[in-house]
Amino acid sequence: MLTSLALFALLSATPHGEVASSVPGEPGGPTLYLAAAKVLTAEWRGPGFIDQGAVIVKDGRIVAVGRRAELAVPAGAVVEDMGDDWLMPGIVELHCHIAGAFGLNDTVYLTNPGLRASSDVIAGNEALDVGMAAGVTTVLYIPGSGTNVGGQGVLLRSGFDHYEDAEVRNPGSLKLAQAGNPERWMLRPNRSLMNWNTRDTFVRGITYAKAWEQFEAKGGDAPVKDPQWEIFRALRKNEAQVSTHTQIYQVVLQTLTTIHDALGIPVFIDHGTFDGWRTGKLVKERGIFAILGPRAIDVPEANMVRWSGSNPERIQGCAAGYQEQGVELIGFNTDSPVIPQEELPLQAAMGVRYGFKNESMQAVKGLTIVPAMAVGLDAEVGSIEAGKSADLLRITGDPADPRCWVKQVWQKGVRTYNAADRRLW
Amino acid sequence: MVGLSIAFALIALSGPGERAAGLGERAAGLGGASDGVAARAASKGAAATKVEPGLALLAAKVLVCSLEGPMAVDNAVVLVRDGVIVALGDRDEVQIPAGYDVRDLGDLWLSPGMIDLHSHVAMGLNDLSETVFLTNPGMRASVGVVPGYVHMQDAVAGGVTTVLHIPGSATNMGGAGVILRTGGATYEDMLVRDPGSLKLAQAGNPERRGPWFPQRSLMNWNTRDTFRRGVAYAKRWLAHELGGAPKPERDLQFDVFISLLKREAQVSTHTQMAQVVGMTLSLVAEEFKLPVFIDHGTFDGYRVAGRAAELGIIAILGPRQISVPYNRPGFTIDQDGALYGVAERYQAAGHRMVGFNTDAVGPPSSNGPGQEELSLQAAMGVRYGFNNDDGAAVRGVTIVPAIAAGIDKRVGSIEPGKDADLIATKGDPNDPRASVELVLMRGRVIYDTAVDRRRF
Repeated sequence: MLTSLALFALLSATPHGEVASSVPGEPGGPTLYLAAAKVLTAEWRGPGFIDQGAVIVKDGRIVAVGRRAELAVPAGAVVEDMGDDWLMPGIVELHCHIAGAFGLNDTVYLTNPGLRASSDVIAGNEALDVGMAAGVTTVLYIPGSGTNVGGQGVLLRSGFDHYEDAEVRNPGSLKLAQAGNPERWMLRPNRSLMNWNTRDTFVRGITYAKAWEQFEAKGGDAPVKDPQWEIFRALRKNEAQVSTHTQIYQVVLQTLTTIHDALGIPVFIDHGTFDGWRTGKLVKERGIFAILGPRAIDVPEANMVRWSGSNPERIQGCAAGYQEQGVELIGFNTDSPVIPQEELPLQAAMGVRYGFKNESMQAVKGLTIVPAMAVGLDAEVGSIEAGKSADLLRITGDPADPRCWVKQVWQKGVRTYNAADRRLW
Repeated sequence: MVGLSIAFALIALSGPGERAAGLGERAAGLGGASDGVAARAASKGAAATKVEPGLALLAAKVLVCSLEGPMAVDNAVVLVRDGVIVALGDRDEVQIPAGYDVRDLGDLWLSPGMIDLHSHVAMGLNDLSETVFLTNPGMRASVGVVPGYVHMQDAVAGGVTTVLHIPGSATNMGGAGVILRTGGATYEDMLVRDPGSLKLAQAGNPERRGPWFPQRSLMNWNTRDTFRRGVAYAKRWLAHELGGAPKPERDLQFDVFISLLKREAQVSTHTQMAQVVGMTLSLVAEEFKLPVFIDHGTFDGYRVAGRAAELGIIAILGPRQISVPYNRPGFTIDQDGALYGVAERYQAAGHRMVGFNTDAVGPPSSNGPGQEELSLQAAMGVRYGFNNDDGAAVRGVTIVPAIAAGIDKRVGSIEPGKDADLIATKGDPNDPRASVELVLMRGRVIYDTAVDRRRF
């Protein structure tokens, strides 16, 4: 702490507390001009790539992107030519449990909307570092699924060692786990009780939020503040979403009909696997995001999925199942450490292996812009577009080919990883 | 003290109760490997009555996969007749004989079928891990093979055409593995070689064997003792067969050592930690001079990779392609926060014969990779630094395991005279996104997505 204070004294700080830098691309530093054989821009609608492209970074943000031949190098800019390598946006993970001390599976109560994963963060820890070395720049660090509502997730950047630098948004989400794990809770609840109790929690939370909305709109006596229900105010304003561990057909159906339809709360499918794909048509009709993993397949093994009785004859790709029913907003997650954080790109690769159509870069988009949109961060990260934060990766080729690897990572214009110094894998 | 001596009595093999005698015993046991020759002869006989035309396969690219020589032939044709590869070359140079059926595979690539030397999917795993005794060289994985088992179908759809189906590692010696084709309606169709290997598991799992929960010192002693007895037994038989020495008494427990001594089968050893791989080299290879390969190689076994290279011991790696830095009893791996690619580390130590395995027990799950994920193992090797400039990743799932198991005269590359076990993929078979569209086994189409339902 003394060291950082001394640094603050030595360097001139901006009004926002950011330290001026002499490093190109960083806040206060010279302009950085990055040239690559291919830039995966990954915008949601559009080609999604530029051959022989360039990206201009200034003060931690993307200023311009285009074809190298058409994008002039600004005066004073430092040019970094990446040769045959590609440039792409940082990867966004929406189901991460490795950003802290794993003190995030409290099971005293069955629903815990007041608990916060942010109280448990160890910014820039080793597991995050290794994930960053695979290109994962933004994570939604969420409570476990030991109960139905584990608490509030927090959105973080992976490359910074202090919480203030790492935080992107808190609350990042409200973590809901409808079934599959909370059955292990001490009184061994089953789906009927869990569903009732979850509904009850949500109705109370919404009632609380509505009381505050009424107060804010019309005045009167301020309601009594209750940290247990505060998150619902953010949810009602879509400033946070419900990230729901939902995977089995009947359970995903409840996500759609109860959380979305009946309660009107913004929600995305997270940790989507097993035979949840059979709800695809309903997911598409509602425009709900499907973030899938860690198991990319629905397997013909009676012991594994006997509860659903699905799919006896073949291995069904989960992403392919959603896609075949018209769902476009498909992304991928790891559930790290269940799947190591650095294997997020592999999740997309396995989606493709098991039938997910990838003709228009759906795998790349499912790692970047789709999860960014799902949590409402798409104005900040998820694609290479002017105005966004410079969260960028230099990679040897298509990230959905697991044989490709990341050479450099920038976050907010700061180069947080360089394999040339020391490759982490 | 009494308890201890009973323990030792039980550990020390199954004893005289299993001595073989009688007319029913098949002669092949003594001769070591039975080659499935009868089955081949039978299928050739069938072919003779119903003459099948030759087959010419046209592909955008053929990966030859021989150990030396060019890896790829573009715009190629492969000629197949009677289940065997007859010719391979550029379409402009190789004449397609009259009467051959021609199948144009368009943009697809053609490769040899993949070979997995660590597989448990030809039957339920429960029947593969007998734990009554700590070393069981007399047991055979071949007794439980189920043709057409669901995960063997997955194997075919994933381009895996040959597997070494082996006992589990619940004991130090689980028994003899069997080399099988993954397609085939009957055991005879599937059989490539029995015994395929003697499965050795030096440490890592046998510690769980109750009620004594042995550790490395006792396990090592007992394993050495079993090897010593087996080699002595086999030497007596060889002295009889070759030198006219008196005929020894038959002991089924040790017959597999005759095949090992004749180098007609190998020791396939689940060996992974540095100290354990070190014992594979010094005990099995150097002390007993038995043919052996590193199987299920993972963790920090790479630390003795240089020595393995000197001894010419092939390394088949997986299912975990990385060594993760951590510290607990039995594993002290200091890598200063970095992940090491296991295959990359072997390669960096000068090891040139690196292959990949899955350790599949069922579908992909927390129990490990599925049988269809062999190509993914190689891809993950590349991801974690394995140099693939010369196609080493595809060789690592074809010719390298074929050589390790001594079946390279028949499978593992696309060369005239070898079995036509071929797979057609949408692109590089080492890219897990590339789907398998067609599988031929001994020249016969056994999976064809143009007509069959995709398994995935």
